[in-house]
Amino acid sequence: MGLTSGTLLLVAIAAAAGSLVAIVWAWPRLARRRPAHLAARLAAIAVSQLLVIAVFLIWLNSYFSFYASWSQLPGASAGTRPAVLQRAGAVASLVTVYGSRPGPAPGRSRLAPLADGAGTLPREAAESAPATAGRLQQVVIRGERTGLSSGPGYVYLPPQYFQPAYARTRFPVVLAVTGYPGLAGGIIHRLALPEVAARLIASGRVRPTVYVMLTVSPLFPADTECTDVPGGPQVASFLAQDVPRAVERTFRVTASPAGWGALGYSTGGYCAVKLAMMYPDRFSAAVSMAGYYQGVRGHPVPGLWGGSIGYWHENSPSWRLRHLPAPPVSVLVTSSRVGDESLPGTLAFLREIRPPMRGYSLIIPDGGHNFRTWNRELTPCLKWLSHRLS
Amino acid sequence: MGLRGTPLLVLLAVAAVGLLAGTLWLWPVLARRGAAVIALRIGLLVALQASVLGVVFVSVNRTYGFYASWSDLLGTDHMVAQVVAARPSVTRAAASDLASPLVSLASSPVVVPGARRGQGGRLEEVRFTGPVSGIAVTGHVYLPPGYSPASRPLPVIVVISRQAGSGAASYGAQRVAAVAAAQIRAGRMSPAIVAVLSPAVAGRADQGCLDSPGGPQAGTFFSQDLPQTLTLAYHAATGPSGWAVLGGAGGGYCALQLATAPSGQFGVAAAAPGTYMLPPGRGETGGSPGLRSQDSLLWRLRHWPPPPVRILFAGPGQARHFISLVRPPMTVATIGPAAGPLPLAPVLDWIGHALAGRP
Repeated sequence: MGLTSGTLLLVAIAAAAGSLVAIVWAWPRLARRRPAHLAARLAAIAVSQLLVIAVFLIWLNSYFSFYASWSQLPGASAGTRPAVLQRAGAVASLVTVYGSRPGPAPGRSRLAPLADGAGTLPREAAESAPATAGRLQQVVIRGERTGLSSGPGYVYLPPQYFQPAYARTRFPVVLAVTGYPGLAGGIIHRLALPEVAARLIASGRVRPTVYVMLTVSPLFPADTECTDVPGGPQVASFLAQDVPRAVERTFRVTASPAGWGALGYSTGGYCAVKLAMMYPDRFSAAVSMAGYYQGVRGHPVPGLWGGSIGYWHENSPSWRLRHLPAPPVSVLVTSSRVGDESLPGTLAFLREIRPPMRGYSLIIPDGGHNFRTWNRELTPCLKWLSHRLS
Repeated sequence: MGLRGTPLLVLLAVAAVGLLAGTLWLWPVLARRGAAVIALRIGLLVALQASVLGVVFVSVNRTYGFYASWSDLLGTDHMVAQVVAARPSVTRAAASDLASPLVSLASSPVVVPGARRGQGGRLEEVRFTGPVSGIAVTGHVYLPPGYSPASRPLPVIVVISRQAGSGAASYGAQRVAAVAAAQIRAGRMSPAIVAVLSPAVAGRADQGCLDSPGGPQAGTFFSQDLPQTLTLAYHAATGPSGWAVLGGAGGGYCALQLATAPSGQFGVAAAAPGTYMLPPGRGETGGSPGLRSQDSLLWRLRHWPPPPVRILFAGPGQARHFISLVRPPMTVATIGPAAGPLPLAPVLDWIGHALAGRP
């Protein structure tokens, strides 16, 4: 039974409700003032309580799109997958489309929920007019040079992509990455990026753009912090070189860095800014929502920085600004005055920015480290990106 | 009472303990029959469950900081703010920040025997400043005859050689330009832009064109700065299929290393004879065993997927071990003698063919 399947949640709810009914029904049988009965009452309440908490945690996991399967949970044995997934001659396409459906149309009802895992979108069917609704595709992107695989990800193609007037247009691209832990589905359902983008594109406030939505950790549950791990998986190269190259070959998008932006929240925010600063030959703008600007230390991932302080420094946007040339990119950093611990680091990073790099901030008065906050910030962020990408 | 405050957590914990004790205590009293009694049982159990769940939720929220306040949790907060441009700290700007990535210092025509002046193309001496690495270095760029920003983009050959600066040496800039001009004129090589640089770009010994952790970023310079800069300054092809790297005297490791790097921008590489096992003069890996192992080209061939690159060696000789590990889509070819300097003209011909996608 899948961790994010509706069945599991229903079974858990049934078990919790059943346990409550059973206690109410068996109540009189445990009513003697004897230690054994007292212990039995306590045990009954404890079992029922654990079932209720299980329901809560299962719901929480699927609401926030943290983990897709049992094996991904921390402590599961599948933690160390090999970095190389594909060794044989690579002739196959780098982008595999597993499903496709019309994109969100403004004014229509919300997108129906969609579980993570390959094949959950309907396979490409005779589709109704993508020229009006665009298309949301579920894809897996394979890295030609790093051998990594993106896991289930999504590509949103705006309606214009299918319109004759745009048949020769190469579209700008935004690469959106999740936080850690996080599945790409979180960007669709919780952040609601395709919906917000569709609305903004329809009203002309955002230029037609292709959005590529991926988890920040292709080797999930390993937390690789979008880093070329020394002697390990080359995740920075995957996200910043392999993915753009594969997307360029598959979709009608621009190859110029001027048309490529990155966006992310939490760990994804750190990654968006870090990758833009390390690869300005790929990205010209980045949005970091509640991100951080120093590589994490004391991390559970062994060898993330290869045991080298210098390598950790290189992977810290703040350090890069102090010790390397400022790259020709624009960044928008967001945080909130109350409710998010990212504020001091964000303001400190902002102060370090100098030409030719450009810094922008969006600081809201109140908002925690959650999708509701980021969803509120998304409209100005997408508009900002649209102004910077050509 | 704040959602993340201690008072709420204490209140919920006290309520949970109290409800648990009360439930256990009142149990016999509620064992009678009657609808009201059953309703009381249900009410008590639900209140207990809710308070314990409350404790769990508030602690999880305090640990991970999901929701800041009640309005945040309930979604009643709709305050937004404006995007503000940060005032750039100009005082902190360094000279390298605003330096132009490529400055042309001098330009001279390349003379081809038997051809009129102007039919050999031009050789420019240029100053590169890497926008990411900050590395500033002088090198040469050869532009073939008929090069114009209006014509179709040309492929690029980056020649890395310790003799880059010494003009007439076999892998010096002048000779490379002269041979390229002659081959193009003779129709044996398709026109290409040729950049000639020394591997020792970081102001010190040759580091194998690798990044030193926290130090000079020579790898970033060759794999990102140089392609981007040349693409912006000249009408050059984009993407690995239009880019070749030729490791001349002392540049063999650089060429193979850059061609097999995951962030690689090169689709074609040629290397002078050598063992290519480890970078020359690489001192600093920041004490990182992981970086040291991936410096080894053989390690890369064993652990990373074979990149789609075409490689040319001067005779199998010392490269036999490397060649034995090559799998498709990577391909290898060999040419000429297994020792001595790599003959320039046939190598340029081969690269020209490979860049044109011909077998």
